Amino acid sequence: MPQIDTGDTAWVLTSSALVMLMTPGLALFYGGLVRRKNVLSTIMHSFFILGLVSVTWVLWGYTLAFGPDTGLGLIGGLDWLALEGVTGDPSDTYATTIPHLLFMAFQMMFAIITPALITGAFAERKRFKAFVLFAVAWSTFVYAPIAHWVWSPDGWLFQLGVLDFAGGTVVHLSSGIAALVAALFIGRRTGLIEPATEPHDVPMTVLGAGLLWFGWFGFNAGSALGANGLAATAFVTTNTAAAMAAITWVTISWLHKGTPSVLGAAIGAVAGLVAITPAAGFVTPAASVLIGLGVGVVCYGAAQLRLRARVDDALDVFAVHGVGGAFGAIATGLFATTAVNAAGFDGLLNGSPGQLVIQLIAVAAVGLYSAVVTGTILFLVNLVTPIRVAGDVEETGLDLAQHGEVAYQP
Amino acid sequence: MVIAALVSFGILLVAWIMAPDEGAARPAIAAQENTEAIPLAA
Repeated sequence: MPQIDTGDTAWVLTSSALVMLMTPGLALFYGGLVRRKNVLSTIMHSFFILGLVSVTWVLWGYTLAFGPDTGLGLIGGLDWLALEGVTGDPSDTYATTIPHLLFMAFQMMFAIITPALITGAFAERKRFKAFVLFAVAWSTFVYAPIAHWVWSPDGWLFQLGVLDFAGGTVVHLSSGIAALVAALFIGRRTGLIEPATEPHDVPMTVLGAGLLWFGWFGFNAGSALGANGLAATAFVTTNTAAAMAAITWVTISWLHKGTPSVLGAAIGAVAGLVAITPAAGFVTPAASVLIGLGVGVVCYGAAQLRLRARVDDALDVFAVHGVGGAFGAIATGLFATTAVNAAGFDGLLNGSPGQLVIQLIAVAAVGLYSAVVTGTILFLVNLVTPIRVAGDVEETGLDLAQHGEVAYQP
Repeated sequence: MVIAALVSFGILLVAWIMAPDEGAARPAIAAQENTEAIPLAA
């Protein structure tokens, strides 16, 4: 009979609050990266999703993602619609030492931030109404099924043996691929010489990155779902990978462009956090150094390629979350060891090449599914209301034109 | 209660679809443009 452990419960309550703070942190991270005429609209995307997905998750998102399987390992049933049957007692299936409601709330914070990550791709040109409809549909038809595949014991990728400690595929790869599709669908911003960012407030972005880093301890160490040694391992690997990626990114940009970029430190740290997410509870601290180094190099390269390809993924969501998420999932297949987590599996470097193959299958399946369904959702939303704002609105800025407010008085 | 909760969200969803786009903010844009025009006229 599952029984509540007060230490575990206290840690997951705290972690849930930490992960919640990441979404306002993301709002600041993205808000600083856009031009001053679009800062409110960019912040509003994340903040509105905080409200929107909190409600949809309670009503139907949780049951679709974690409810008893409908039979094929693809989606949960409606048994827990509006949290019917989800109580303060522990679940028989998930995190059996904390209240089931708390496990639901912890997962809710992941469901909130995932569609918020995508908003960086269509920043400065997406119609608010289209954004709202897109967010409801995406969290329902993309996030919930993928979460079920990977994290439900009946999910087909879970059954296959995929390792994703805190959401490298579920959160980052899915949103990164969706961001690329959205950027291609909506087209490039007008008024920019090239599809690069023109940050209006770098300190705001660095503050946002700091809040993300802070909240990520809840994201990853909280995913141990208990106050224990595994949480401590995830805490250390998370911090180490973020730190290594930050100093790697700065070093590369220093050599490449001649200056150690402050913005690069912030973006590099986030890339490191993304890459360690699937691995945090399966790898050693030493492996997390290598993961941070690798993702710093790979994501910096991806961001440069994105610029050359002239794809206006405005805030490099694909380069950081898509590429970083895929890199982390694959790195988990390389470095995972049961010495860190007996509930996991060994990776290639610990004698199990099959784990790498499983990780690659998961990356391909999640990426493909997210791309196809995101494209379909964008097409359908565009039939209801144009995804992109009119040219004069884009020129004026979305803050005034869409929200009737401005961030800064002249 | 579950049905009532779903319906309440559905009402909001319909409201979002029916809500005005940037059209409602056009007066604000025009006001800003007029304000900006004052120094030029002077």
